[in-house]
Amino acid sequence: MNTQIDSSYRPDALVVGGGIAGLQSALDLADQGLKVLVVERGASIGGHMIALSKVFPTLDCASCITTPKMSAAAHHENIQILTNAEVEAIESRDGLHRVRILRKPTYVNFDKCIGCRLCEYACDTEYRDRFEEGLGAVRAIAVPFTNAIPQKAVLDAEHCLTCGSCARVCPTDAIEFDQKPRTLAIETEAVIVASGFDLNSVTVKPQYNAARSQNVIAPMTLERLLAPHGPYGRVLRPSDGKIPGAIAFVQCAGSRDESIGVPYCSRVCCMYAIKQAMLLAGALPLADITIYYMDIRAFGKGYEQFFQNAKAMGINFVRGKVARIDPIEGGDLRLHVETTEDAENPLEERTHDLVVLAQGMIPGWNPAQTTPVACASDGFVATPRLTAPTATTAPGIFTAGTAAGPKDIVDTIAEAGAAAIAASQYLFQKRETAVAG
Amino acid sequence: MARIVNTQLLQKIKRHGAGGTLDVSACFNCGNCVAVCPLAEDSAGFPRRMIRMAQVGMEQELLASEDLWRCYACGECTETCPRQADPAAFMAATRSYAIARYDFTGLAGLANRSAAGNLAVFAVFSAIFGVLLAAKQQAVAPSAPLFNFLPGEWIHHIGVALFVVVGLSAVFGMLSMFLRFRAQCGRKAVALRLSALPGALVQALTDALMHTRFQRCADGERTPAKPAEPLLKRPWAVHAAVMGGFLAMLAATTLDYLLKPIGSPVAPWYPMRLLGAIGGLVCLYGLAVMLGRRWKASEVPWKKSSFADWFFPLLLAATVLTGLAAEVADYAPLGAFGHIVFFAHVVLAMDLVALLPLTKFAHVLYRTLALTLFAWSHAPAAETAAEAEA
Repeated sequence: MNTQIDSSYRPDALVVGGGIAGLQSALDLADQGLKVLVVERGASIGGHMIALSKVFPTLDCASCITTPKMSAAAHHENIQILTNAEVEAIESRDGLHRVRILRKPTYVNFDKCIGCRLCEYACDTEYRDRFEEGLGAVRAIAVPFTNAIPQKAVLDAEHCLTCGSCARVCPTDAIEFDQKPRTLAIETEAVIVASGFDLNSVTVKPQYNAARSQNVIAPMTLERLLAPHGPYGRVLRPSDGKIPGAIAFVQCAGSRDESIGVPYCSRVCCMYAIKQAMLLAGALPLADITIYYMDIRAFGKGYEQFFQNAKAMGINFVRGKVARIDPIEGGDLRLHVETTEDAENPLEERTHDLVVLAQGMIPGWNPAQTTPVACASDGFVATPRLTAPTATTAPGIFTAGTAAGPKDIVDTIAEAGAAAIAASQYLFQKRETAVAG
Repeated sequence: MARIVNTQLLQKIKRHGAGGTLDVSACFNCGNCVAVCPLAEDSAGFPRRMIRMAQVGMEQELLASEDLWRCYACGECTETCPRQADPAAFMAATRSYAIARYDFTGLAGLANRSAAGNLAVFAVFSAIFGVLLAAKQQAVAPSAPLFNFLPGEWIHHIGVALFVVVGLSAVFGMLSMFLRFRAQCGRKAVALRLSALPGALVQALTDALMHTRFQRCADGERTPAKPAEPLLKRPWAVHAAVMGGFLAMLAATTLDYLLKPIGSPVAPWYPMRLLGAIGGLVCLYGLAVMLGRRWKASEVPWKKSSFADWFFPLLLAATVLTGLAAEVADYAPLGAFGHIVFFAHVVLAMDLVALLPLTKFAHVLYRTLALTLFAWSHAPAAETAAEAEA
């Protein structure tokens, strides 16, 4: 990992995004001897996956399988990683992609920073930790999270009071309050867009009242609550720290719903809800856990068995779309739902003390205006050729993972490998033609 | 027991009301519509089950359903439908389809499916009444009283004949709904006890007059909370204005006929005259708000209007307006114009009655019947009632 990159640096391929898709693609390219630059907009690589507690259907610890990938990429001699950087534009001409990269200021000189965290310990200012979905606190200058890569402190200018405590304790004089955004222009022959996904807001459907209750939470929040190194170290509900006794999962709360503009299926919510329900059943053996669903989409290898296991564990599955969630006294929530499989009295009002909304996956980046890559009507990168699922509309630019559409980790990694092969094949063929010509 | 499935049912419903724009086949039966409905009760009969019946072609069950008429089209289901299948418009279109199916003459189908059919039926009836009235029209001076121009007795005779025909048609229509309902009760083993009927009737009429459920529909809980509309603009109040005004005019006309000789001059403050005039104005207010909402088409229940949706309120408004003008003509002779307006009023009023079982007006029959049937079939069993008293 080298942060001293300038315009003379010319990688064979550029990977946009340092999540699990980007890292897998980068590793598969680098192992073929190709030089790869990974551009990650966050402060650490690892994407969403590093924040998960466990993954379905194997219940592997997400940290334990993501960290080695992150580490392998970071230490690979053919891979360069730029964090806190965004691809601003790609211009393609004569088989060459000119990429403009914005390097956002971190106010820490990464070449000097040794990750000792003295600055973090000295800092007096705390704010809600985004990595912990706002449940914990983080200092205004900090290493992003325990297993972040790179292990370099980043200063948050929005919350920093510029008191100078960090600069006084830094043993290597790495703090640079005067850093400015910089632009870097590089050239490369192939690009893989692995820019991942975002989740739409839990407040996207006003009927669910997430803005009015802290106990209507996002699934990523529950991931953190369930993670062994999470904010509380156990599952407590956010409003009052009560141990929840009746937990509801509301499926399709941000997707498959044209009234909020996300008509497609997010593909992972059924499975992660089942996974989270299982983990909750382990963490809170006395809790009632109910999954409200429209239909369970357990389509992958071993997924149906996983679903059946959850049912056998005593997780309640209720078919019906929750229409409304009303906060009631004591921080509890009342769900209005038609239990469509009940012939008698299907209209129900059920009370839960914690509700998890299955948010919809939406594109993490829109490359349509600034790059030659076109997006489909759903906003994800268009992959028009059925027989070349990783090819975008632009020659030499490939895509992998959730940048191309909602998918789970298993499919993402498979696709990332496919994109790497497609990209290297493209590169080698191009070079052969050039030599022959 | 075998069920008869009509595979064309959904297509047929789509030809009614704003049904052409409907995509009910998009419905994946999630149940959102039922759970948001401010009127949904434990039985949760609508809208999802109605849509399901239409999707699988259960026509008899659909036509037998009193639930169809227990919806007042607040539009909450349509606003939140994940598939944008528009359950509210589906319910309205299905009610229109039911009116057509209950009517054995086929005229209701013609009038409800297309603007041309609607206008044709209207034109034929207008022509019949026009010719009948013209037959006894008197050649009088332009300043002559209205009833010298058209003899009151003649209007009365035509009216009585019309009421008999329309009354029979209404009875057949309501029987058509009732018999299907009873068959379904038989299937579901729901007992209809005659002793519970009067109570049910009272309950239904009270609900219809007081707009009890309509109020719950329009003023029900909403998320996000909607700003409350001023009382006089709430949909149920607007409907109450139209209905109340109409009933006042009906009472005024009937009492006028019973209590005094036809056409005898009265002062404007004569109670029946006053009742009619006030009723007319109240009714016009309601109709103006209703039509205005359809014109603006900014909120869900009024976003999609078919010709039939426009026709009935317009016909009623035209009848009231010509009636009010004729009243004016009675005091301040408008000359020959007054006679023409009066003639038009009588023809329109007869059209209104004649079209009762064929247009949206038929909801008066079927909604009231449906409310009665619901109350009847849900009446607590005799023993339980006795136990409750004990």
